[in-house]
Amino acid sequence: MALILHLLQQMCVYLVIVYMVSKTPLFKIFTEDAPRLPHKVLIYLVFSGFCVIATTFGEQVDGAIANTRAMGAVLGGLLGGPVTGFLIGLTGGLHRYGFGGFTDLACAISTTSEGLLAGMTAFYLRTHNKRALLFRPMFVFGLTFVAEVVQMLIILIVARPFDQALALVQQIAPPMLFVNSLGAAFFMSIVRDQKTMFDKLSSAFSSQALKIAERCVGVLAKGLNEVSGGKVAQIVKDETNVGAVAITDRTKLLAFIGIGSDHHKPGTEISSQLTTDAIEQNKVMYADGVEEPYGCSLSSSCKLGSCLVIPLHSDSQVIGTIKLYEQKNKLFLNINRTLGEGIAKLLSNQILYGELEEKQSLLTRAELKLLQAQVNPHFLFNTLNTIAIITKRDAEKARELLLQLSKFLRINLKRTSGLVTLGEELDHVDAYLAIEKARFPDKLAVELDVPAELLSLKIPAFTLQPLIENAIKHGISQSIDGGCVRIRGLLSNEYVELQVEDDAGLYVPPQNREGLGVSLVDKRLKKQWGEEFGLHIEWEEDAFTRVSILLPAPMLEAAQ
Amino acid sequence: MISCLIVDDEPYAREELKDLLTGADGIEVLGECSNAIDALGFINKHKPQLVFLDIQMPRISGMEMIGMLDPETMPRIVFSTAYDEYAIKAFEHHAFDYLLKPIEEDRLAKTLGRVRSDLRPQLMEEITPQELQHLPCYLGNKLKVVPVATVEYVFSDLSGIHVATAESYVHTHLTLKVLEQRTALARCHRQYLVSPDAISEIVLQETGAEVVTHNGTKIPVSRRYLKSLKQHFGYS
Repeated sequence: MALILHLLQQMCVYLVIVYMVSKTPLFKIFTEDAPRLPHKVLIYLVFSGFCVIATTFGEQVDGAIANTRAMGAVLGGLLGGPVTGFLIGLTGGLHRYGFGGFTDLACAISTTSEGLLAGMTAFYLRTHNKRALLFRPMFVFGLTFVAEVVQMLIILIVARPFDQALALVQQIAPPMLFVNSLGAAFFMSIVRDQKTMFDKLSSAFSSQALKIAERCVGVLAKGLNEVSGGKVAQIVKDETNVGAVAITDRTKLLAFIGIGSDHHKPGTEISSQLTTDAIEQNKVMYADGVEEPYGCSLSSSCKLGSCLVIPLHSDSQVIGTIKLYEQKNKLFLNINRTLGEGIAKLLSNQILYGELEEKQSLLTRAELKLLQAQVNPHFLFNTLNTIAIITKRDAEKARELLLQLSKFLRINLKRTSGLVTLGEELDHVDAYLAIEKARFPDKLAVELDVPAELLSLKIPAFTLQPLIENAIKHGISQSIDGGCVRIRGLLSNEYVELQVEDDAGLYVPPQNREGLGVSLVDKRLKKQWGEEFGLHIEWEEDAFTRVSILLPAPMLEAAQ
Repeated sequence: MISCLIVDDEPYAREELKDLLTGADGIEVLGECSNAIDALGFINKHKPQLVFLDIQMPRISGMEMIGMLDPETMPRIVFSTAYDEYAIKAFEHHAFDYLLKPIEEDRLAKTLGRVRSDLRPQLMEEITPQELQHLPCYLGNKLKVVPVATVEYVFSDLSGIHVATAESYVHTHLTLKVLEQRTALARCHRQYLVSPDAISEIVLQETGAEVVTHNGTKIPVSRRYLKSLKQHFGYS
């Protein structure tokens, strides 16, 4: 009984040490599913150490030593695998052999085989996808128990004289079987708890990072400025719960959310040396408030006590920083530090993506410029011809046409790629149609049916004009008898539909690609309002060609 | 007096040219047309010696129209255009007459001088399409442009040239000769052309043969054209 207590005592000391070690990052090695070589070396050293200590401080019993050496060998084998287990067992065994006594050889053999047995078991379980079993305390209890039974048998077989060995086994078997199994089980239980905690933490970490990523999508598409910076800072603050979050560009503070926002004003120059260093050296700067003191450069009463500054990149350029602060009385969590660096990387990617988008839209703008510059020369010269002729006959009318032409050209030349009102767009169309009507007085009729409340509707400039030009060029002017162009505006609760229809019905679906004008209109509408909107064409041969533009209705209110 | 026709789809342009020509010596304006189809009918009927022809016109362009004219009644052509870089290059290259709109009076006088000294029509094979894609037709008084690919057969009688497609039955001012030369339609009879694609069978008879189209219409084949029709399908 005294022996059991003594061994238990010994085991308890180990477990306390193990528990304390479990609080350090070192312990993470034991929770790995498949340790790598350097980690195996560490496992070897630690558990060999266990064996050595167990033997050294074991209880002398009739020329033998009652001990908890088996715990070390079995656990080492389980965590490190067959080779590591064997080496641990061998080390522990040889050490024991050095102590002498009539069981020295038996103990050396048995400890080595215990390590090997545990290692083989671990190997078997790993290769058969039953890894989870390794970390189950009950299983470890059973395994250690079996290992100890084997040890007792080896003692009986190897140690001489047999009578003495038998007596010894009778005395030490129960306590050693019990205590070693219990200790190994407890150890594994600590390992398992720690492992679960790590897993939970990292999943919480990932979900937090993902949430921030999700919420930030699109915010930075237009680049880093006070508005987008403010949104991002708010999101990061919400999700990380740090004391405050700031975003800067290279020279000034763009946004500051959280404690201290009373004196950290967006728009002001960067004042902290930490931030300037981060930008200039392109390095993550960290003042934990303990070893590296952090003092607010603006106000001595500032409650912030620690600060992490991470540079934001676009390509390889530092374009600003994101700063995470914690209060003086709060610790800056390590996890927030890692998370902060992740967030900075993520934001940098989004800024880069935003710039790409920007380049894309620049390209669209260039295409648009090209389209505007392409005043159809046939149209221009025929109009000049018409005006030249009319001048002789009706000077007043010629003057009117010249005014329409200059209006048309002026709008064409100065058009921006931004939004204009439908009313403005219709002015452009009117000028164009007035000229075409003069060219084909008997052939072209125009019907306009757009409700007055739609005139303030915002649409991308140059949306209707190319469609009407097409309706004339490929429709009415190709029809022998002429025809009518109808422009309609339809308004429902959800949508606004603008229609351009001609009654020539000569539309031919393009074989390879839509004309530049029409596809560009569609592209710009979709870019502005999303994939569900845009342009579609219906036609019936010799009856009509109708191009419809679908827009969201709510912007009506926004425009007013 | 040189008789002439003005073809342009813009009324002001026609009016202007007419005014300018009225003052010129020895030119008589017979009429004006606003599209190529009307112009073909007019040319066949009134045989003007000179045609002022706009290039850009609805459905059938000026160039296409020339390809539809019977070489025997081909008038002298003066093209007119407000802007057509490609066509102008071609006119320059072949020394064809053309006017740029707005028309300068000097330029018109020069052109008329050239025409007066030699009124013979020029060969325009190189700038006109060799294969017609569309046939200008009438359905009653209504103009209709029929794609050549849809034509099954064409025949002539006292009232003119008739074009039969699967859906419609129209008439045209084009001659059988032009249609034979400028389309895939094959001659099978003095008065008939047939589209080889429309032929379902050829039934041999004592005096010649008969073509049966896919929708069962029977078309006479004369002995004279039977051989060439059979050759078309690889029979000798």
